Amino acid sequence: MNALKRYWWLILLAAIAVYPIIGKPSPYRSGLLIFAGIYIILAVGLDLLMGYTGQISVGHAAFFAVGAYTSGILTAKYGFSPAAAMGVGVVFSATLAFLTGRPVLALKEYYLAMATLAFNEIVVTLIIGFEGLTGGASGLRDIPPFTIFGFSLLNHLHYYYFVWIVVVLVIASSIAVVRSPFGRALIAIHSDEQAARSFGVDCAKYKTRAYMLAAVYASIAGSLFAHYMGFIAPDDFGILTSINLLVMLFLGGIGTIFGPALGALFLKLLPEVTYQFQDYELLINGVILIVVLVFFPRGLFGILTALKNKIVPRTGK
Amino acid sequence: MSDISHLIQFLFSGITVGSVYALIAVSLVIVYKVSQLICFAQGEFFVFGALTMTTLVSKGVPVPLAFFLSIIIAMVLGALIQQVLIRPMKNASVGALIVMTIAISLALRGLALLIWGRESHVLPPFSQGEPIQVLGAALQLQILWIVGITAVVLFLIWFFFEKTPAGIAMRACAENPYGASLMGINTQKTTLFAWAWGSGIGALAGMAVAPMLFTQYTSGVMPMVKGFIAMSIGGLGSIIGSVIAGLLLGLVESYTIGLISSKFSDTIVFALLMAVLVFRPNGLFSRS
Repeated sequence: MNALKRYWWLILLAAIAVYPIIGKPSPYRSGLLIFAGIYIILAVGLDLLMGYTGQISVGHAAFFAVGAYTSGILTAKYGFSPAAAMGVGVVFSATLAFLTGRPVLALKEYYLAMATLAFNEIVVTLIIGFEGLTGGASGLRDIPPFTIFGFSLLNHLHYYYFVWIVVVLVIASSIAVVRSPFGRALIAIHSDEQAARSFGVDCAKYKTRAYMLAAVYASIAGSLFAHYMGFIAPDDFGILTSINLLVMLFLGGIGTIFGPALGALFLKLLPEVTYQFQDYELLINGVILIVVLVFFPRGLFGILTALKNKIVPRTGK
Repeated sequence: MSDISHLIQFLFSGITVGSVYALIAVSLVIVYKVSQLICFAQGEFFVFGALTMTTLVSKGVPVPLAFFLSIIIAMVLGALIQQVLIRPMKNASVGALIVMTIAISLALRGLALLIWGRESHVLPPFSQGEPIQVLGAALQLQILWIVGITAVVLFLIWFFFEKTPAGIAMRACAENPYGASLMGINTQKTTLFAWAWGSGIGALAGMAVAPMLFTQYTSGVMPMVKGFIAMSIGGLGSIIGSVIAGLLLGLVESYTIGLISSKFSDTIVFALLMAVLVFRPNGLFSRS
């Protein structure tokens, strides 16, 4: 049982790897899981910023947009290879986060929420405005599929594996970050910024770095999204997407990395169950979220951990 | 049309839109003052107000009666939400509270979809008649209604907060809830009251512009975001500040769309918001 407790994530990895072989999913099914994976990358990155560093963002989709559009424009119009374009997007997002991080993250709570929301809208309105480059409101088309070493990931199962390898890397690196001295500084900033500062933590610097890291993950997610869709439009990157990410974080259980991942997976797969209720879908989503927030403030991951502790009682060491 | 008449036309549309932003901002501020909470569901009251009134009027209810009934329905809805959903979250973090109001807005939007469907609805204007010509610009009668309603609401709010015991109690709760409760003020009742007010004013904003807009279940998002901007520029907790900011926002928007570029008007507005937040975090009109 102890081994199970320690190595449960290996079972999860095996399940991800084996699912396409056993389940033989249709392109539609694997497409759902690809989207879920992309949103997991976004949510886990945002969790580093919100759950660990305690900085609210209602505009995280801005970096998702930057990644997607950098990849889309460079590959569709300038003949860049997808991997190179993704790299440029990452550098671009990190720079943007570096430049805006300090002034924006000096704000707190609602002011920060409003500033990040405004940032998101600025990015989206610029994308809509610069029609010649971005395709404007009607979107950017003809984005080629992803290629690695000349091998094109046209097949949906290949792309499924590619996206989920990135997901695993993002989750693993996030756990490493959280356990590192850097991560501890972030947690210290979250619990008490004044105290953290008096212990010599340069809060502005660390907050900006967390912001940059979250932006880099979002940018990667954006590139993956653009190459999978082949077509992107500003609607995919607006405030509503940012708000959706917040919902994933709190639904899954913020500040746990696995929680937001679970929230993203749940929210992306939920429509599979609720679509048959058609017009009730929106109401059902809202009510599920309300119920989780009121009765399970630690989210779905909190429920799972509680269940696990019941089945496998904690052993004192 | 001459240049002057263009400028006047932009002024009219700026004031119209600005009044709506001001009303929504005020409704947000009232809730914020007593609950220290920015309600992301405020746009839904805008939609509920507009659509309830449209339905009532189309069912043959006289306009004045439909008007007051719609406001009361929104007020009850707001009070109910505060009592049942927000009150249990007293100790939650700002993030959790924001997500809670988002959840409420999703549920309300879902409800609106079930009641009114996906199509848009238009309310007939409050009064019939030709637009008034002012130096070559057309002034629709509904604009007079919108401005008039905004003025009356603002006067009532001022009167309420300055002259009535209930209003003064509400201000006390906003300043210091614990101290207020020691003075024998029922803080819970006051909070409930503020939510009812906020929801009612949000609904009123939707109803006033319903004749000039195609309202559907998703129409609340943008007005709410603009209300946020006005509120933040005005300095979160200030009613006067948010009214001025709301009107200013409407005018800036209208003139940038008319004179500079319709593509980048929102970019300019949001950049303005970021600039104010970064350089004057207590609002444009605060004395630092």
